[in-house]
Formats: sequence, structure tokens, C-alpha cells
Amino acid sequence: MVEIEQSTMWQEGFENRLNGKLPWQNWSLYKMNYEMTQANLIPDFSGLQCIKYLPMLTPLQHQINAATTVIEEMHGKAILADEVGLGKTIEAGLILKEYMIRNLVQKALILAPASLISQWVEELSMKFHIPAAAYNKKYSLDGCDVVVMSMDTAKKSPHSERIYEQNYDIIIIDEAHKLKNHKTQVYQFVQGLKKKFCLLLTATPIQNNIFELFYLISLLKPGHLGSYEAFQAAFSASKHSAQHHEFLQELVHQVMVRNRRDNTNIAWTKRHVQIVPIHFSPEEQALYTQISQLDVSNPITRLTLQKELCSSKEALYETLSKMPAPPEEILAELQQLTINSKAQKTVELIQQINNKVIIFTEYRATQQYLQAFLYENGITSVLFNGKFKKSKRDYMKHLFKEHAQVLIATEAGGEGINLQFCSHVINYDLPWNPMKLEQRIGRVHRLGQNEDVQIYNLAIENTIEQHILSLLYKKIDVFEQVVGELDAILTNRSKE
Amino acid sequence: MIAMNSQQINQFLHDFFIETGCDVERQEELLHVQLSIEMDKKIMNRPFYWRYIEATNGEPNPAQLKLTTSLQRGQGEIIHFGSPRLQQIYRVVEEFGAYVQMYEEADVTASQVLLTPWLAVNYKVAYCCDCTKEVLYSFGLNLMTGYMVLDFHSSLIQKNLIPTKPANGFCVQHIIAPQRGLERIQAALNEIIVEDDHTWANEAIVKWQREQRILDYFYDGVDDKPEMYEIEKQALQERYGAKIKMTIVNGGLFYLK
Repeated sequence: MVEIEQSTMWQEGFENRLNGKLPWQNWSLYKMNYEMTQANLIPDFSGLQCIKYLPMLTPLQHQINAATTVIEEMHGKAILADEVGLGKTIEAGLILKEYMIRNLVQKALILAPASLISQWVEELSMKFHIPAAAYNKKYSLDGCDVVVMSMDTAKKSPHSERIYEQNYDIIIIDEAHKLKNHKTQVYQFVQGLKKKFCLLLTATPIQNNIFELFYLISLLKPGHLGSYEAFQAAFSASKHSAQHHEFLQELVHQVMVRNRRDNTNIAWTKRHVQIVPIHFSPEEQALYTQISQLDVSNPITRLTLQKELCSSKEALYETLSKMPAPPEEILAELQQLTINSKAQKTVELIQQINNKVIIFTEYRATQQYLQAFLYENGITSVLFNGKFKKSKRDYMKHLFKEHAQVLIATEAGGEGINLQFCSHVINYDLPWNPMKLEQRIGRVHRLGQNEDVQIYNLAIENTIEQHILSLLYKKIDVFEQVVGELDAILTNRSKE
Repeated sequence: MIAMNSQQINQFLHDFFIETGCDVERQEELLHVQLSIEMDKKIMNRPFYWRYIEATNGEPNPAQLKLTTSLQRGQGEIIHFGSPRLQQIYRVVEEFGAYVQMYEEADVTASQVLLTPWLAVNYKVAYCCDCTKEVLYSFGLNLMTGYMVLDFHSSLIQKNLIPTKPANGFCVQHIIAPQRGLERIQAALNEIIVEDDHTWANEAIVKWQREQRILDYFYDGVDDKPEMYEIEKQALQERYGAKIKMTIVNGGLFYLK
């Protein structure tokens, strides 16, 4: 028989009324108590109760379905892997609210990037009436049932110890792809947390290789994909056999909800993606050859230098001049260089577009150079990066919307800003990781976008950028093999 | 069960403030409330203010609220089913509406009316594992005969009940003491629960065992299992361990014709 828990609280109060120690109470309030209890009753194990508690919120059908699936089929442990912009936060909020209403969760810990903490607190309290607070080290965690903090803070002492002392019923981790490496402190910190319920939110569960997904799932449900060796074998087999392939996909989807734009009931605008090939000028090409032949101890350094030159001489100069033995000759030649073919092409593109554009670059030096170069060409721009405080981010967004044609963002600006009023994205530099591109595109291709979205991926011929391109294609293949289809990132290629 | 609509909530709020000694003025969906000191302390979350007033013998100034049950943004704090203010008021109602002793009003023309003692107890029973379901049971026990009925509350609210014994009413002394009555009701509830369908608990055990096997497989061959293993095992128990929670919502003594 099932364990029964019975409270004797009422009984004590009743005795105190019988022996006259306390007065009897009000009949109207008695009836109201019954009425309210009846209205708040959970009539069924299944179905979302939280909807009736949230009449001001109108969740989309795919969000309701996702929350229901996580609770009823995955029993509260899942990766929410919707494509960017479909409302993973809403899904997580629905799940959290449902568990709180059902009394299965009292204490919740939410880990998010520092820049998104206030957004989480606001959404939970405004949209879900969940009294969440941003972590403040001055106050004890005892008094705060729903707390939001950054992963970087949480993993460190003394915060990690304070968290371990608490008994959280649910752990929610936003941008969970930051846990892809099992050797990091943050991974091990999360591994040590008890996860009665756990939600991992990421649009990009695989970034560079399949084992990232293995470690993410092993964090959520150790053993679900077997041991590392077993998984490795299964994955190699899946490359060659359709049967193994299906099996692996099914295992993954037992713990993962992934809505794609195409299978929501929303009319999405189209996404047009193209690669814009660029040719170096002879001077640039000569420098590139020199850089490629430079004698460096670490081959990674060479890749970095090559990549930087493909971006701007400013980006390269910063790294070169900081080297232990700066190659003076190259530095001198670099200063002579007057043409940046990629920047020129960018200006042409912007003039052609004749509308709002976001440019993503990987380098701060390039970012500043581009602003100056655009200015010389009569193009107004604002700079943006993820380290900005929320007020500054909002201000920059406002400036971009009202006063500038271009927003130039660094990689770190890729999260937590929504710019649906713009529909053109130039990927000035290509990252190694295709999911970063997806995150960038997600800033504009999301709910509220009314125009078709145009993506331009700039790549210089006969350089490292071509190699990056082919690598990106390979990584996208792995993702699609295990997780499922991806929206266009590099080109609108047709599937075989 | 359907949650309360905005009209019901409006009535609920109105009645609540009246019954707790606050002043209420209603303009359609809008409620202007002057809180009593006691209710200010209960629902305004400002203990420091009240400590200060009491320490300095200051003039207490309980808050005024402007509430609306309309979902259109306009005047007043919007109150709907699930809004924090309503939950807070629910907590107060739970505290102040837990124990009553009531008498059925007798026909004034009758010389004497015999009133029989009944014990009413309303239970909330929650079935919990990785999900929950709740049932409300309303018991009535005749403290003279031991006769027990279910759904007692709905028959009580049909009656004309008053908090003081009517002048011509004569309360018969109970044979079953209320404490014993409570035990009988508890036993009856246990019987209902035992008879109930518990597929949910069996299903939870199956899910639990399956996940335990997966976990064990992950640590197969590891002699000294790491702390992580124990943490995960504990999490499985907390998630799938089936439990039945019984709480008494309210109850009391009723002297009925």
C-alpha cells in the first residue's frame, strides 16, 4: 500500500474550540474556504492546470504541447530544444508553474547567462505570477523559493556550497549548450545537483560534435544513452545503418522536445541565405601568404592569425603586436595596407539593401574599424556587445531602431536581444560553430518578424574561410542526423 | 471542476472584505476597499510598518486597495483566478474559515425544536507521484446515531444556519464525542482510499524501476559508486515515490433539525 501522510494540525485547533480555548469562526468564510479549495482542486493527473491560473497569458499551441509532453511523457526531465525564437522560456514557465500548482515543486533554481537574469525574473513574475528573485549574495537562499542566478556565479565558492545546502525540486538551465564540456567546473557543479525535475534549454544541443549531446543527456539522465563507449559505438553504427540511425534519433527524442518553425501553426516569413564570395586584393593575398608561412609554435595561432586577417588588419594587428616576438616586417606591411576587400563588399551590400542591417563580427577591433569605415561611406551605425547592461542594451536597440542604419555586434551580442524590426543579417566573420550562426539569425528571424529574412555569409576565396565553410557543412550534417532538420544557416541548399 | 469566473471572483472578494470587517464600495467590476487593521497586517506584507506604529503608538493608517476583476487594463489592480493577491486572500480564508459551530434556525412559532448534533469534516486528498490528483471529500456524521453521509457540505449550504442557538432550540447532547466522531470519519476515508483505483501508484513504480535500471547500467562495473549515483537515486525516489496526502480543509459542529 502507498505511504500516507496525514496532518494533525486541524485536529488540534478543533480541540481548542471544543474546550472553549479559542472561538469558533465565521460561517461565510468557512463556505468561501470550501468554495476556493474546490476551485483550486487538481481534478486529473494529466492536462495542464496552469492555463486557468494564467488568463492574461496566451501560450501558443506548440508551447502548450511541449509543456504537456515534458510533464506527461518525460516526467519532468527534458531538453527544450526549440529553434531560436519559439518561446522556450514560455514553455519552461508553463512547466514550472504547473509543478508549483500541483505542489510538486516548492523550490526552484534557474541558471541563466548574467545578461538574461533580469529578463527571467521579470517574465516569471509578470507572465506567470511566480515570485522569482535574482540571487543576491547578501541574503540567505532559505527565504527565496525561486531564484535566478548566473552559471558563472553558481559554480563558484561559496555560492555553490550554499546552493548544495538547499533542496531544489527543479533545476532550469538556460543556454544549456554552455554545459557541452564535461570537464568544466560548471558541468561538474550541475552534475552534483540533485535533479528531481530538470529542464535544459538550448536551441543548439550539438554545436561542434555529437559527444556534446551525449554529455548533455548524461547530465539530465545518466545512462539514457548508455556509457560513453556504448554510445560511441552506436553512433558510428548509425552513420552506416538507417536502422541504428532511427534508434539513436528515437532515444534522443525521448528526452528532447524540439519544435521547428515549420511545424508550428504560425505563418513564418521565409529565410534566404546566401554565401557572398569575396576576392582578396593582391596586397591582401600577399600578406595572407606571409602569415600562413609564419613560423609559430602553435598551429592554432596560425589559424587565428589567418582568420583575423580575413576580418580586418586591425584585428590581426592586435594579436601580432602582442606576440612575444612581433614580426616587425609584417606589421610594417600591415600598416601600409589600405584596402579591406571584405569591408568594401560590405558597404556595397548595405547600399544595395538600403534598409536596416545587422553585422556580426568576431572581433572588437573589426567592430570599431567597421564603424569608422561605414561612417566614411555615409552609413550610420551603432555598436553592440553582450557585456552591456540591460539599460544600455535597450538604449542601443532604441538608437538602432530610430537613428541608425546598421548595428554592428560582436559574438557576445548574439544572445538576449531581439531585433524583429530588422530583416538583414551580414555574417562578416564565420564562426567555427554553426549554432552560433543560428543564434545570430534567431535575433531577427523570430516571432514578430514580418519580412522575409535575408542572410549574407561573407567568405573570402582561397583562405581559411573556405575551410571553415566546409567544416560548418559537416557539423550541420551531424546535427541533422541525430537531432533533426535545421533551418537554413549557410545556404538554402536542397536536401538530397 | 471549472475555476472561478470574474463575476464569481468579484463576489468572493466583496464578501471576503465585508466578512473581515473592511469597508467595501463596489462599482461594477471595481472594488474600493478600506482595509481593517487586521487585514492590512494579513495581506499587505508590511510588518515593519506595523511594528513601528505599535512601538511609537502612532496613528495606524491601514491601506486602501483598488481592485478590479476586469481583465482589461484600466483602473485598479487586476484580480483574476491565479493572481497572487487572490492566493493570499485564499490563505487568510483557510485560516479564518476552518472551524465553525452552527445551528439550524427553527420555526419561531414552534415552542421547542430538537436539534441533533452533526460533525462535518471536509478532506482534501492528494495522490502524488511525478504528477498529482486531488479529491475533496465532505463527510457528515450524526453524533447521536453514527449515521454517516458524503457530500455533506452541499446539503449544509441549503440550510438556514446561524452561529447562536435559537431561543426555542434544544440541543440534544451527543452520544459519540466529536473526537471519536473524527476518528470514525478518518477510518471511513481510509476505507474509501484503500478501495480506490491505484493504477497511478503502480505505474509510478514501473517508471521508477525502469529509470533505476538505466542508472545502474551507467555505473555498471563501478565498485565505488560516486556520490552522484546516490544523488540521482534520491532524486528518483522523490520523483516517483507514491504518496497520499490527507489534509482537513475545515469542519465543525452543526445542530440540525
